[in-house]
Amino acid sequence: MKVDLSVSIGEINFKNPVLVASGTFGYGEEYSKLINLNRLGGIVTKSITLKPKKGHPPARTCETPAGMLNCIGLENVGVDRFIREKLPFLKKFKTKIIINVAGSTVEEYVEVVEKLNESQGIDMLEINISCPNVKEGGMIFGCDTKLAYDCVKKVKEKSKFPIMVKLSPNVRDITEIASAVQEAGADAISLINTLVGMAIDLEKRKPILSNVTGGLSGPAIKPVALAMVYKVAQKVKIPIIGIGGILDYKDALEFILAGASLIQIGTANFVDPQSSIKIIEGMEKYCQENNISSSKSLVGKLDTSKKE
Amino acid sequence: MIKQISSSILRIEEITEKVFKLTLSSSFIAKNGKPGNFIHIKVSETTTPLLRRAFSLHKTNPRKGEIEILFKVVGLGTRILSEKRKGEVLDLIGPLGNSFSPPSRNQKVMMVAGGMGLAPLRFLLNEFLKNKNPKKDNITFLQGAKNRNEILYSKELSSLGIKHLISTEDGSLGYKGMVTDLLVKEVRIKDKVKIYACGPEGMMAFLSRISRKANLDCEVSLETHMPCGVGACAGCVVKTENNKIVEYKKICSDGPIFDAKEVYLDES
Repeated sequence: MKVDLSVSIGEINFKNPVLVASGTFGYGEEYSKLINLNRLGGIVTKSITLKPKKGHPPARTCETPAGMLNCIGLENVGVDRFIREKLPFLKKFKTKIIINVAGSTVEEYVEVVEKLNESQGIDMLEINISCPNVKEGGMIFGCDTKLAYDCVKKVKEKSKFPIMVKLSPNVRDITEIASAVQEAGADAISLINTLVGMAIDLEKRKPILSNVTGGLSGPAIKPVALAMVYKVAQKVKIPIIGIGGILDYKDALEFILAGASLIQIGTANFVDPQSSIKIIEGMEKYCQENNISSSKSLVGKLDTSKKE
Repeated sequence: MIKQISSSILRIEEITEKVFKLTLSSSFIAKNGKPGNFIHIKVSETTTPLLRRAFSLHKTNPRKGEIEILFKVVGLGTRILSEKRKGEVLDLIGPLGNSFSPPSRNQKVMMVAGGMGLAPLRFLLNEFLKNKNPKKDNITFLQGAKNRNEILYSKELSSLGIKHLISTEDGSLGYKGMVTDLLVKEVRIKDKVKIYACGPEGMMAFLSRISRKANLDCEVSLETHMPCGVGACAGCVVKTENNKIVEYKKICSDGPIFDAKEVYLDES
């Protein structure tokens, strides 16, 4: 049986629901020698800001039980160099290209979006209002309903591309932010970004990360992410892209059952660069074995009926 | 060219306390790996430890399709690796990173290995000897460790016809002190000499500082945690300065070999 893994957000048709997550896949080129990028549903680039950013000093990462912390600090080449030097490579592949955009003010987001508007080869934007590591990372927008609404509304007005908005889990009620973002016109919501975490070097009595705290990712955060995707799916109508500790196709399908139309693979890329491809193949096999002709039919099909 | 490979363990032996030599099959890496390159090994099938571990190539045998790494058990990842047995298959990526650059025609060579920093330098030394360039009498190999038990392959290194000097922190073998003390004693600023060094972070920091001060031609091999190993995550950076431009470079893909003068390391 041929399984249809395709899924759409508005008019964009993804050949499968597996995207690689921002910050874990560079600008695509870094992994192109190890995996066939044409197989992916889509690639989400590193966050792009108006001006180039150097990022935080080392140490920027630290491994933790079933996960890792990072405080990269949005290091990136800036939007102009990105368009000139990085985008031409990405354009060559038969996969959807999603540019992650970050800023410290609404104007900055808008300015980046306006520059990207003039470029070819972009399918969608992911608006990062949730980086926990820098104040320019937009978390201020992601933690306040009104600021989130205003930022997304302005970006949406200017963007010629559909937008997904990446939400932070470091909030009191993520469904409130999700609702505000939907109301502001977002085409989709991606969640979750990393959870704020910390690691300490007992010998030196110092924080391990240069920025003291960082963002926790990896399988350790999967249950949290799954619950947040489930809750948000109950609240909003726009498509959800589930992110958080997905390592294999089973994790991916759990997110889909919880209500995600698509998923993103992050830390798993480091563990095994083939993770995303293996997940696509695993989903296909699962659907075949369970007589499911189209994987989108599983979206949100979690059976929550109470046990007798 | 880099590849992700399933590689069989051909041999694993504990050469001294907690230090292991691991021989793996990979004709691709044996053929393409250069001194300074590293491989990224998935040590565990479970989620802790989650990330791969990076190891410098210590030896390659292109004819047999074999590669070798040296490692010391320092944490969970290396402990798991040390418990692997002959015949088990490891998932590895390589060869990664850049490699040492050759000395120029009339340069003498001084190699400075601190502890496990021996691994990439022994590979480089073997290349020098194989190519007969530079000549043996133009090579000095300085090897340091905490004590005599941690001085690896000293017999072999002493029998190669190169100048081989040893230092130990406790004085149990050779000069008593740090290998960098030996370097300071041995190096003649007026000589045209190229230094290759690998060792603990404090040693690398010292070398980068004196290289700037005395304008030495010195390449250092840096080591750190590397989540991706291919330059995608920007997690393994070092502060650098070139022509007044300060930037963070990625140890995995811009390095691990750097001009000692350009890197700024934490000396604490």
